[in-house]
Amino acid sequence: MYVVIIGCSEAGFYLARTLVASGHEVSVIEQDLERYQLLTEDLGIMAVLGDGSDTDVLNQAGTGRADVVAALTGVDATNLVICQTVQHIYQTPRTMTLLKDPKNEAVFIQLGINVVVNWIQLALTALEEGIPGHPLRHLMNLKRSGLQLVCVAVPPSADIVGRRLGEIELPPDSFISLVVNRERAALPSGSYVVQAEDELIAVAASGDERVIYDILTGV
Amino acid sequence: MRIIVYGCGQLATSAVRELAAEDDEVTVIGTDRNRLERLSDSPKVSAELLAAPAMQDYLLSAGVSHADAFLALSDDDHENLLVAQIALHMFNVPHVVCHVEHPQLHMMYTGLGLNVVGYSRGILQDIRHVITG
Repeated sequence: MYVVIIGCSEAGFYLARTLVASGHEVSVIEQDLERYQLLTEDLGIMAVLGDGSDTDVLNQAGTGRADVVAALTGVDATNLVICQTVQHIYQTPRTMTLLKDPKNEAVFIQLGINVVVNWIQLALTALEEGIPGHPLRHLMNLKRSGLQLVCVAVPPSADIVGRRLGEIELPPDSFISLVVNRERAALPSGSYVVQAEDELIAVAASGDERVIYDILTGV
Repeated sequence: MRIIVYGCGQLATSAVRELAAEDDEVTVIGTDRNRLERLSDSPKVSAELLAAPAMQDYLLSAGVSHADAFLALSDDDHENLLVAQIALHMFNVPHVVCHVEHPQLHMMYTGLGLNVVGYSRGILQDIRHVITG
């Protein structure tokens, strides 16, 4: 596989090194002279010095035959323009980027960027999982709709314990999609009676996570 | 019309003044506090100070979800292209205009259906006109 990486600070550097080590062909486009020298002289990675949104520089890196272009400049706007440029000019089959603003995920996906790594979201999920007893976890983003899948553990003190699911009112577009208790996981029915420490997996409209959390855990 | 202008460089500033003079309601989003303050002297202009470039939250608080037009007129082509496409595809703003200086990007995004404005291509034509008479 031939991969062109644009921007080689931390993420790009480790990606390049790992890909080379696993036998892939990699070229890096880097604007900073010192980093460029480090890549080519000390690490023996193929690199081109220049602006990765400039097609002369992209041509020089052989972007035309790339299987993947990874735009990792650290600036969302520039990464988007690079991905759109290579898709349009070289018909690059796969483009990927790392997001700065987590909210940009939906627009990047809609514009056809193949792999959009929302690392703030990933870090948030990992952090929440690391906190024992934290009752709300982000499971995943449902990319095309902009909705989220969240998991709420019902604390014993919560007001909804002992009530039926059908009585619980959630914001529009949000609903409980799975109930997990000690014995089993089940599709929710309106007559299911919530027990303490049930895990409720809910589809949440973006921005409504807090409201859902309050409804499901409030005392 | 409710118009959002992204950017507060010279191009954006003069656009805001002209639009406000024509009785449009303008919200300007930019990073230059002094320029924003001067612009919002006009009763038709409100300003949104941007702490980080191209962050979607600022577009929302500027009212992008109910704007009639969105003009990306900052001095940064890439930022303009990002925010213009957000306004167009995420918020379905009816009229979106994007300023781009780079001739190649100008051509490419015009081909992708964005309403792109910029002097760069016109300048090349003017130069040719001057040289060839």
